[in-house]
Amino acid sequence: MTESVGIRAEGVHFGYPGQPVLRGVDMTVEPGELTALIGLNGCGKSTLLRLAAGLLQPDEGRVLLAGDDLARLSRRATARRVALLHQSAPAVPGMTVRQLVRQGRYAARGPLGMLREGDDPVVRRALRDVGVEQWAERDVDALSGGERQRVRLAMALAQDTRVLLLDEPTTYLDLHHQLDVLQTVVRLREERGLTVVMVLHDLAHAARFAERIVALRDGRVVADGTPKEVVTPGLLAEVLRVAGRVGRDPEGGWPVCYPDHPLPALEYENHIH
Amino acid sequence: MSRRFAVLAALTVVCAGVELVAGRGMSPAVVWDVLGGGGDTTERHILFQLRLPRLLVALGAGACLGVAGLVLQSALRNPLAGPEVTGVTPGAVLGAVAATGLGLAGWESPLAVVVAACVGGCAGAALLWLLAGRGRSDPAQTAVHGVLVSAVLGGLTAMVLLVAPGELGSVVQWLVGTTEGRVWQHWHLLWPWALAWGAAAWLLAGPLTLLRCGDDIALAAGLSAARARALALLCAVALTAGAVAAVGALGFVGLLVPHLALAVFGADLRVTLPGAALVGAAVVCGADAAAQLSSRLLADALDSGRLTLPVGALTACLGAALLLLVVRRAPSRTF
Repeated sequence: MTESVGIRAEGVHFGYPGQPVLRGVDMTVEPGELTALIGLNGCGKSTLLRLAAGLLQPDEGRVLLAGDDLARLSRRATARRVALLHQSAPAVPGMTVRQLVRQGRYAARGPLGMLREGDDPVVRRALRDVGVEQWAERDVDALSGGERQRVRLAMALAQDTRVLLLDEPTTYLDLHHQLDVLQTVVRLREERGLTVVMVLHDLAHAARFAERIVALRDGRVVADGTPKEVVTPGLLAEVLRVAGRVGRDPEGGWPVCYPDHPLPALEYENHIH
Repeated sequence: MSRRFAVLAALTVVCAGVELVAGRGMSPAVVWDVLGGGGDTTERHILFQLRLPRLLVALGAGACLGVAGLVLQSALRNPLAGPEVTGVTPGAVLGAVAATGLGLAGWESPLAVVVAACVGGCAGAALLWLLAGRGRSDPAQTAVHGVLVSAVLGGLTAMVLLVAPGELGSVVQWLVGTTEGRVWQHWHLLWPWALAWGAAAWLLAGPLTLLRCGDDIALAAGLSAARARALALLCAVALTAGAVAAVGALGFVGLLVPHLALAVFGADLRVTLPGAALVGAAVVCGADAAAQLSSRLLADALDSGRLTLPVGALTACLGAALLLLVVRRAPSRTF
């Protein structure tokens, strides 16, 4: 699979002094696949996403993008191949939607290319993709949370990459806007054959939208497979530390969780597997 | 956008016109006459050897400070950053004063003053960088540390003045900031410096606009944020040093102008950087004209013929008022 755009983590270790975060992660994301990363807060899923975007370098092991070691690519070259949507972003006083989305073109145009006038077709397409053309001249900071998230998704799409990484794209959004963002991602992935990896807190979203779920616990992969294989009462207990039941959606057939109550934290967190 | 530039340019021209006639001893009619080729030798000397270079130096220094302030605020993502509060201006003053006090530089070697101001400005910024440590990304912490750094550098400047008071006359002008007595020599030194570093800052407009979105977003979009920020800071220090060497520590111009420029031209720095240069030129020139006019009024009222108000005193008061406004509505929200 080295010739198409898949992602592969090989024996990745990463940590901060005195605080290991990832302890040997092996993960392969096939080209064109929609993968969800799940796990408790602090299990290392966001860190894994940042490593996949080349924003962090592994202490050990390597991350390959279409067969190329990310550690050897420059920041700009990496950003031409992978776009990452962060969980939250600071306010950008005075910036309009079109200006913010245009910033996504930096990797493609470079510092001097950004000085040239005009949007390229990619910016217009990105604005259209998420349906925000009509707000293009409004201030980003004046938009509602759901609207801003779409604009930020458009900025990531303006990077025109084959790989899209999303770090909890639905946090802070109401159910309507959560589904809106996720459906947009699913649709674009189908249209363009994008490879998508999302960190999701909501197991219901992961079970419904992802083709594959990778569960992390204490910096290790503890489950990896299709939603039907992975989403079980055992996974709820082991990975998310809740007791509950798992059923099937009567129409779509995807797993549906009925979480019941939280389980006590384990004393020997490191030896669960 | 071009209409806003035109309006501002017209405003700058008006300020420049007022500045030319604002001084003592020549009525507007005489100034007009001299500009048209008339007037006697003294009048020609006053206009072409004193007022014109002073006007140009005010415009140039204002443009430098405006651009430097906008570059700093964007690179540090801090609406409270400005050369005055990040240690750059006090450092540059210390450099200039120390070099003059030690006899390394002076009116005979103005280039040495620029270099000394530049070194001092870099040192001031570096001191803040080290002191702020992990709090660098927090505007409030940076502001607090900036006050500390400015106080320390100001104290050092005072010590130099006490130890080597020989050149005191010229040195005091740097402390407040004044365009009094600026001649063609200053202008010839200022404009190439301002042009070169201003152009360098404009070439960084793309990365700087991206830095305004925050480091996380900038990095994800492919910008090497740390390198871009270092280059931007270098430009800001050089521009500030050029302005300080020419007119001294003009209070708060670098803090005030970026807010005006952003309000008028928006957050796309390709447009707003030249805009900040124009706003800065207009503000300093206008403040200088206002200072001269009010000096005349004050002198009449107080009956003291030699009273002059330094332009730096005026910009400091204006800037402090604006800083208060900015602090009250500084955005801290994330999304």
